[in-house]
Amino acid sequence: MSILKTDFGGDRGELFQLALKTGLLTVLTVGLYRFWQTTRLRRWYWSSIRIGSNPLEYTGTAQEKLTGFLLAVIVLAFYLMLFNGAAMYFVIGLSEGAPDYLNLAMATTPLALVPIIFMARYRARRYILSRTRWRGIRMGMSGGAWGYAWRACMYWVLTILSVGLLWPLMTFQLEKYLTDRTWFGDAPFMQFGSAAMLSGAILPFLLMLWASIGLPVAAVMTGQNLYYMGLILTIPLTAVTAVSYRVGSVRIMASMKTLGDGMEFDIAPGTGRLIRIHIFGRILTSLVIAFVSPVVLGIVLGLIYLSGSYDPSMLLAPPPMIAAIIAVATWLTVFVLYGICQQVFIVFPIVKHIGETFELHEPTLLQTVRQRARADGRDAGGFADALDVGAAF
Amino acid sequence: MSGPAPRNPDFAARFAKFHADMYDGLSPVTQRVSVAVVGPELELTNTETRTTQVWRLDALRNLPDQAASDTLMLARSDDHPARLIIREAATAREILRAIPDLRPLRGSRGGWFRVGVMGLAAVGALAGILFGLVPVMADRGAMYVPPASEVALGQIVYDEIFAARGAVTCTATAGTVALDQMESRLMAGVSLPYPLTVRVVQDPLVNAFALPGGHIVIHSALIDAAETPEEVAAVLAHEIGHVAHRDGTRAVLRSVGSFGLIGLTMGDVFGGSVIAGLTRAALDSSYSRAAEEAADAYAITMLRNVGVSPGALATFFERMQASGQSMELGVFQHLSSHPDTLQRITAARAADIGQGRPILDAASWAALQGICADTTTAGDPQFAPNSTVAGAANK
Ligand SMILES: [Zn+2]
Repeated sequence: MSILKTDFGGDRGELFQLALKTGLLTVLTVGLYRFWQTTRLRRWYWSSIRIGSNPLEYTGTAQEKLTGFLLAVIVLAFYLMLFNGAAMYFVIGLSEGAPDYLNLAMATTPLALVPIIFMARYRARRYILSRTRWRGIRMGMSGGAWGYAWRACMYWVLTILSVGLLWPLMTFQLEKYLTDRTWFGDAPFMQFGSAAMLSGAILPFLLMLWASIGLPVAAVMTGQNLYYMGLILTIPLTAVTAVSYRVGSVRIMASMKTLGDGMEFDIAPGTGRLIRIHIFGRILTSLVIAFVSPVVLGIVLGLIYLSGSYDPSMLLAPPPMIAAIIAVATWLTVFVLYGICQQVFIVFPIVKHIGETFELHEPTLLQTVRQRARADGRDAGGFADALDVGAAF
Repeated sequence: MSGPAPRNPDFAARFAKFHADMYDGLSPVTQRVSVAVVGPELELTNTETRTTQVWRLDALRNLPDQAASDTLMLARSDDHPARLIIREAATAREILRAIPDLRPLRGSRGGWFRVGVMGLAAVGALAGILFGLVPVMADRGAMYVPPASEVALGQIVYDEIFAARGAVTCTATAGTVALDQMESRLMAGVSLPYPLTVRVVQDPLVNAFALPGGHIVIHSALIDAAETPEEVAAVLAHEIGHVAHRDGTRAVLRSVGSFGLIGLTMGDVFGGSVIAGLTRAALDSSYSRAAEEAADAYAITMLRNVGVSPGALATFFERMQASGQSMELGVFQHLSSHPDTLQRITAARAADIGQGRPILDAASWAALQGICADTTTAGDPQFAPNSTVAGAANK
């Protein structure tokens, strides 16, 4: 049995340069460049993942992304207007003598977006896959965003009603829905197995989740505030076990996927590794922002001083113009630095780690695969961009 | 290199030097090819099948933003999915020597036209909804809100803006009596769908608000800044104008109606917030412009009817403007957002009827100025008479 292993060919310094350049351009263009930034970062990350020494290729363009975003803005604007009109009617119609309805109406307005968010995620994934190639062959995804959205809503309701017991069912069924619609060339992916295989992985998470919910309930019932102390332990453990479940479920489900005539996969990221990346990444990000921002601000202040508009009385009562320049410079510095640090300290090591654990089994079967037709992907993930539910790049 | 024996030694000599991996865009199978620059073309010969493909040099592009600098990824400008992957440095040098100005692969042309059309359409749709449909829906809707709901809505808004931030309400007895006196004098012969609830809140900014359902809030600084009780009465009359026109309720309905719409352009911490901020400012000023003029007109009529000179409104506006404070702060926030403040001053001045009847006597005016001698922290049950409403808002 032969296996294709994956290596990660990207260099952190190169990524830093790309993130810095695109971050500055994004700021200078009041955010417009972000479609180019995302596209360029994707190209870079895709090309750094080399399965059996062959890199992935991202073929999306920034223009189609921007066009898709604008299309999504138009569609969402009309959708929101209709929904808001209904909410307004609700406010007027049901508010008499029952002000609680007012709050309810205002609180439910954001709910209008929940199915749209699932739809947006599906379409964003579909667009990304249609713009991903490996060995010159396109990946792809069949339509089905609305089917995904209503299933996701339904499984969330079931999960909540079952106090989490049906969570594995949601994880498995949604992943199966996505996988069974994914293609590499003319070869379909298929998800085998069942929700039951995730029950072992979810148990620790559910126990911690129940404890975190149960402790405050117990505190309220008995009036013993001591119960709240338990949360110090259960809340971090809930977070850790949640990551562990996510990683475990991805690994288990990946091993039960097939491609085409029988190619299989392995992906085995380490929970501890991912948590460490997040913790160190955040610490490094804070340190960089804490040490670099003052230097940048010092330069700005120096320029203000050199420009001759400095006056000792400004220290106590800075004129609004100068104060505004300093505030904007601070905000921009922190914004750009934060974006760079996210890429360099968090996204980079995560993609590298996950990528390096990926294996493709039976690659000789690749010769049975043929190219698929080009997909248009009209909205180009624009709904996810407009709703800001996209990923880190 | 294994492969069939070359038939032509010269051919073989030229071809054996440079190699690359090719993907034909039809199958994912790697094809090992020998690479030769022949005139304006690149000849790619499969080392096993001996079949040859020809790629034009001027149609060759490299893939941009590639992470691995040790490989050269070549594509064709005609959007064909075939790819040439060059890992050997010698081959890369040979190709770069033949195409010194190798350009990166770009997306198809015509993209910018689509971006422009879509951009205009998006701006048009958003503007039409925010400036056209939503205000019309809110204006119509405000007519149908039952008064009792408006009162409850106003309490919720008050709790959110003031009570939740621990605002301090001025409640000195004599001052409250003077304020009631001023209110009942102004309201003589006027009927509103709901009673007025006028509060004075301690705050260093000169400002006053009309919330939905007759809730009016006056900042203590406004009373301090006024030199005569008529100036306070003029501002109060202006706010009563907003109450009569249900401007507060309309503002709430507008914000329900425009929920999420402005945020659509965000998607980005910085770029979006600037655009969203500008949109919000443009919206507020366009909505309030007409509302302010209508409230001024209402105040002028109201003041005239009770024998107080509307000139007091102009005097107060002028004083605020002269103090320099008005442009940044004050009634004044909305005043400053209008270029036509002067026009409003002129309008009020034109309605001046000279010395009117004093709205408060000297003792009551002094009491009103001292209304902050006693204070209560807002949110106190005393100031949330309908406790179920306050409870609902805090949830
Ligand atoms: Zn006003």
